Amino acid sequence: MLWEKEMRVPNTAVVDGKTYATVLGMVRDDRFIPLELVYKPKPGDNVVGIVTNVRHAGYSIELNLPYDGFISSKFTRVSFQQGDLIYGRVKFVDEVGNADITDAKRLPAGKIVDVPASKVPRIIGKKSSMLNVIRDGTGCSIFVGNNGYIWIGGKGNLPLALKTINFIVANAHKHGLTDKVAEYLNEHGGDVKVPPREEEKPPEEKSGLSEPAEETPEPAKEPETAEPSEPSEGEPVSEKEEKDAGSSEEEKQNPIMHSKSAGAAEESGEVKKKGIDIEEM
Amino acid sequence: MEKPELIKDGKRLDGRTPKDLRPVKIEAGVLKEAQGSALVEWGGNKVLAGVYGPRECIPKHGADPYKAKLKIRYTMAPFCSKGEHSRSGPNRRSIEISKVIREAFEPVVLSSQFPRSQIEVYIEVVQAEGGTRVASLTAAAVALADAGIPMSDMVSAIAVGKINGQLVVDLGKDEDNYGESDVPMAVTHRDKQIVLMQMDGLLTREELAQNIDEAIEASEKVYELQADALKKSYEKEERGKLKL
Repeated sequence: MLWEKEMRVPNTAVVDGKTYATVLGMVRDDRFIPLELVYKPKPGDNVVGIVTNVRHAGYSIELNLPYDGFISSKFTRVSFQQGDLIYGRVKFVDEVGNADITDAKRLPAGKIVDVPASKVPRIIGKKSSMLNVIRDGTGCSIFVGNNGYIWIGGKGNLPLALKTINFIVANAHKHGLTDKVAEYLNEHGGDVKVPPREEEKPPEEKSGLSEPAEETPEPAKEPETAEPSEPSEGEPVSEKEEKDAGSSEEEKQNPIMHSKSAGAAEESGEVKKKGIDIEEM
Repeated sequence: MEKPELIKDGKRLDGRTPKDLRPVKIEAGVLKEAQGSALVEWGGNKVLAGVYGPRECIPKHGADPYKAKLKIRYTMAPFCSKGEHSRSGPNRRSIEISKVIREAFEPVVLSSQFPRSQIEVYIEVVQAEGGTRVASLTAAAVALADAGIPMSDMVSAIAVGKINGQLVVDLGKDEDNYGESDVPMAVTHRDKQIVLMQMDGLLTREELAQNIDEAIEASEKVYELQADALKKSYEKEERGKLKL
């Protein structure tokens, strides 16, 4: 059980006025952070996909989902070929989970990495902080899709970028990760100016926990001050557009959860989690 | 054949008291290629479970437009025990066990979130020593949670039964073969629904009622181990390594 009261949070379910988790995750304040998650497309999500079929009315896109997404040729001027890598936005999802994609653009040849969808927020970081560190450190250009596909290309140090993403995925449940990644990049021959931006708030931690001092460059202001964080991690990568996606997502999710006669799968005890984090820091 | 003495001075063959479980070790996230996986070592049993999905339902005409289809395959390896298991793959017994395990998960997996898809669970019994279906079910539950499949509740399984006139928990191979009764059960954690119950042999009503209570109690212990395994899987360094 997560909370004694009724909460409308994605990936949870309410039974008898109590909120239960439906997937393995952690609790921080009023947020539930899933550690394992099966990706479900939502309108506004940015996705990376592969064109698998060229059809009369549009293109089928492989999105790491049970069924292919679709780009209607009505709404796109670009023409694609089978095997093209694309970066687009989910426009509409119907009741059986088919995703319509708009604003698609073709990505040049690059590498597609498949990461668990639950780790994507960590790879992006708050306001793309993590992503910028990786971009800085490796010189690669990176596009992250909420569906768990990541496109890496450009002239940078590609193997290092891959290794870094691997590192993030393996350590996604720990906090202070941006600094660690910067360190990791420097160790492995990347060059990162040690993060000039203000501290990232680790989204997965209970706020009361402070970070052990040895490792971080500037540990002083790291913990606490966890401002009631808007769910900005879910936010797309591409710099300019939609900041408004967040709220509509939320509403989209809730009716689904509510209709379930559901309850707790895991109460991954926060207390335990704390212990783990401290040890491994 | 004369019945062997399975209980002596309140101790069972392996020195357990009637309410003791065999040593159970659960590990989550053991397979790299599967989306979710678990290894359960339960006494002499060794069971591996791997989960894939939700993904495209095959054959396509079998897809349910309202929910995901749960497909579970339980198989025993040819080398898993002294008995005859000459060829692995489905046989009468394993088809039955696959079915009862599927039916145990159908009420808890929130399959309506993934219409037209299928969720596959593959369970391999590498080594068997009585009670493989409960070990398999326990492994499958951990693997499903590890894969991030939304579930309304966690399922824990345990066998209870009667040997030499004494009600016991967690029957081993000899107790199963020479005892009076064997009742494998699976219980959900939160609301204690019984999602699997089979019975082999004979029990009176009262005995069965008592057995069920004991099973619910013991399933709690199994749940603790399952939850622990999932937490521990995050301590592992190789967690989440990608195929690069």
